[in-house]
Amino acid sequence: MSLRHQTTRATVRGSAPSRSAGLFRLRFGFVVIAMVLSVFGARLLQLQGLDPHAYAAMAAREGVQNVVLPAERGAITDRNGVELATSVDGLMIVADPQMTEDDAGPIASYLSQELEIDYFATLAKLRKDDTRFQYVARRVPSTVARRVIDALEEKGYKGLTTRRDPMRDYPADDVAANLIGFIGDDEDFGPLAGFERTFDKQLSGVDGKTTYEVGGGNRIPLGTNNTVKPVNGKDLQLTIERDVQWFTQRVLREAVRGAKADSGTAVVVNTESGEILADADYPTFNANEPLKSPERNLGSRATSDPYEPGSVEKALTFSALIDAGKITPRTQITVPSVLESQNAVIHDHWDHETIHLTAAGALAKSSNIGTALSAREFTPDELNGYLRGFGLGQRTDIGVRGESAGRIPDPSTWGQLGQDNIAFGQGLSVNAVQMAAAINTIANDGVYIDPSLVKGEAVADNGVKVGTSTTQTRRVISEEAARQTSEMMELVTDPVDGIAPTSAIPGYRVAGKTGTAQRVGKECGCYDGTFTVSFAGFAPADDPKFTVYVVIQNPRNGMGGGAAAGPVFQKVMTYLLRKYGVPPTGARPTTLPVEW
Amino acid sequence: MSSPLPQSRVRVQRIAEAAVERARLRVVPRLSSRAPRVPFVTLVSLLLVAGVVGLLMFNTNMQQNSFAATELEQQANELTSREQTLQMELEKLRDPQRLAEKAQSMGMVPAVYPAFVRLSDGKVLGEPTVSTAENGFDARPPEARKPKALDPPPIEIKVPAKTKAQRRAEARQRTRSGSNGSTSTNQGDRSER
Repeated sequence: MSLRHQTTRATVRGSAPSRSAGLFRLRFGFVVIAMVLSVFGARLLQLQGLDPHAYAAMAAREGVQNVVLPAERGAITDRNGVELATSVDGLMIVADPQMTEDDAGPIASYLSQELEIDYFATLAKLRKDDTRFQYVARRVPSTVARRVIDALEEKGYKGLTTRRDPMRDYPADDVAANLIGFIGDDEDFGPLAGFERTFDKQLSGVDGKTTYEVGGGNRIPLGTNNTVKPVNGKDLQLTIERDVQWFTQRVLREAVRGAKADSGTAVVVNTESGEILADADYPTFNANEPLKSPERNLGSRATSDPYEPGSVEKALTFSALIDAGKITPRTQITVPSVLESQNAVIHDHWDHETIHLTAAGALAKSSNIGTALSAREFTPDELNGYLRGFGLGQRTDIGVRGESAGRIPDPSTWGQLGQDNIAFGQGLSVNAVQMAAAINTIANDGVYIDPSLVKGEAVADNGVKVGTSTTQTRRVISEEAARQTSEMMELVTDPVDGIAPTSAIPGYRVAGKTGTAQRVGKECGCYDGTFTVSFAGFAPADDPKFTVYVVIQNPRNGMGGGAAAGPVFQKVMTYLLRKYGVPPTGARPTTLPVEW
Repeated sequence: MSSPLPQSRVRVQRIAEAAVERARLRVVPRLSSRAPRVPFVTLVSLLLVAGVVGLLMFNTNMQQNSFAATELEQQANELTSREQTLQMELEKLRDPQRLAEKAQSMGMVPAVYPAFVRLSDGKVLGEPTVSTAENGFDARPPEARKPKALDPPPIEIKVPAKTKAQRRAEARQRTRSGSNGSTSTNQGDRSER
C-alpha cells in the first residue's frame, strides 16, 4: 500500500513541469480553435444574416437556366392548305473575328460555297478589327447551319457559333405576296405588311418559358423546374388558290408589260360563294426579298388604289334600269352623234352620225351617249341607291390593309352632267375588288355577296371580323334583270356585234364588258390624257361559275379595254374552266338585236 | 377527500409491516438475454446498406435518365428541323413556277380551250383546239425590280448637235490630218504623256 503510494508521488513530482506545458498547449489549441470558429461564425453571419439573397441569386445564376420556349408562328395557307407562308427553325451563324482572323480565307471560301453568300463580304467580316461579334449568315435552315459548323470544326477552324434565328419562308416567292405581306429582318418590329401584320395576333401565339437547374450541361433531375408551355399560333387559311393566283399573276404581268402600262390588277371571284380565288397585282414583290422591291409595290393595288371604272360600270347602270322597269334589252334608243349635257358635250368612243341602237346594242358597242340617255330615266338618288347596292363607295373589308372605299359623290351635287358621267363610269371611283363584287352580283342572279379572302373567320388588327363565315348577301336586282343584263353582256364578246371578240372562249357562252376610262392625274387633279382599261366578265354566261375582272392602268400602246385586258380575262377564264372542269352548258347564245 | 388519506396510509403500515418488509427492493441478478444478436445486426446493416445503395442507384438512374432526356430532346429538335428543311425542299419542287419552267423547257404549251367528252353518249362538249406555241405565256420568274438606291438610272450625257460651220471645220481638219496623219498621232501621243 505504501509502496504504491510512493510511486505515485514520485511520478507526480517528476512530471510536474510537463503537465503545465500540456495544459498550456491545450489552452492554446482551444484558443486557436475558438478563433478559427469565430471567423467561421462571422462568415456564417455575413453569408446568412447580412445579405443572404444576393448570394442565393449568385448561386442560382450559376446553375439555373431561363429559356424562352418560342411559340411556333402559324402558317398562311391557300384554300387547299398549301403553305404560302411558313415558319422554319433557322439559325444565324455568328463569328468571333478575333478567333477567325487567321483562317479567314479557307473559312470564307467554304461558307460561300455552302451557304451561297458573298465570299468577299464574308472575308471582311471574319477579319474585322475591334469586335468579337459579326453576323456571317442569317436565317439559315438549322440543318444546313449545323452541318456547316460541324464540318468547319472538324477541319479545326474555331470561332463560329450559331444562335436561334427563326425564319419565315414564303415557298411561292411572289405568289400572293401582295396579300400575305412579309416579316422584316428585325424580329422586334414584328411583321411589316399584309396579312402577316393584320392577323399577327392569331398567327404569332404566345411564347412560353422554362426554368431549370443545369449541371454539366444536363438538367439536374430534382432541381428547380418551372415550365409555362408556349401556345402556338393558329394557321390562317385564305380563299386564294395558289395555282390560279400564280397563273393570273403571270398572265397579268405579260399583259401589263405588253401594253407598256404602269400597273395592273386582276381579281377572280367564285360567283356563288364570293370567295376570291386570285387577287393579282403587278408589279409586285418577292416576299422572301421584300427590300429588293420599291416600297410602292409592297401593297395591294387591287384594294388600295381607287380609279374611275369607266364603261364596265355601264353593265351596272343597265341592270339597274332593267330592274326598275325603265328599259328592256330591246328598248330602242336614238343615239345622236354628240349629246349636250349642261355646258359640255358627251362623245362616243367612235365617230358616228345619229344611229339607232337597242339598249343591248348600246351596251355591246359601249355607247356613252346611249347609256347616258337611258340613265336620264333615273333620278340621281335612284341611280345612287343602285350603285351603293352593288357595293360601290363602301369598303369591302376583306382584311387587306389600307383599303380605299372609293367614292360616289353626293347625289344632290351631281347635276345633269354628273349623272350622265356616273352612268357610264366617270366621276366616281372604285377599287378593283369592289368592282369585281359588283359585276359578280349580275353573275350571281342579282344577289350581292360579300367578297372574302379569308376562309372561316379571323379578327383583323382593327377588330373587324372578316372571312367567309361573316359573308352576307343582299338582293340588288331581280333575277330576271340579272339574266337580261347577262344576255346583253354576251354581245360584247360576240365576234360580229361586240367590241371584245378576243375575250370569247369558243364553245362557251361568255358575258363581259370592256372599260376604258380617263384617268385623273396625280399632279393636276384633272383628266391627264392617260387611261384605265379594264374588262369584267363571267362564264358560262347562263350558269356563271367565276367572275374575272382585269384592270390595266395607263397602257401606252393605245389599246382599249377589249384589246389589252380582254386577253387576260380570256386566258384566266379558260384556265379556270379547265382546272375546275366546268363543261360548256350547250345552250344557244343570245340573239338580241343590236340596232333597229 | 384529502382527510382520509393519511389515516389509510397509517393503517396499511400498521397492518402489513411484515409484508412491506418482505417486498422491499432488492438487486436482482442480471439476466443475460437469450436472443442471438447476429441476425438483428445483420438485418439492420443490410437495411442500411440496401438503403444507401438503393438511393445511390436511384440517383444514378435519374441522372442517367436526365442525360438520355437531354439527348433525346436534342435529337427531336434535330429531326424537327430536318423535317422542316425537307418540307421546304418539297415545297420548292412543287412550286408552280418551277413546274411551269420545266414544262416549257420540255417544249410543252398550255392547252387552249377546254373541251370535254360526255361519257354517257360520247358527245364532245366545247371546241377541241390544238394548242400551239402562240398559246404560251411568259412564265419566267419575277424579275427583281430594284429600288432606286440599288438601281441608279443610267447617266446620260447630252452632246449638243454640231453646227454647220463646226462640221465644215471638222471635215477640213480631217482632210489635213489625213495628209500628215503620222505626225499628228505622234503629237497626240506626246501630249498624252
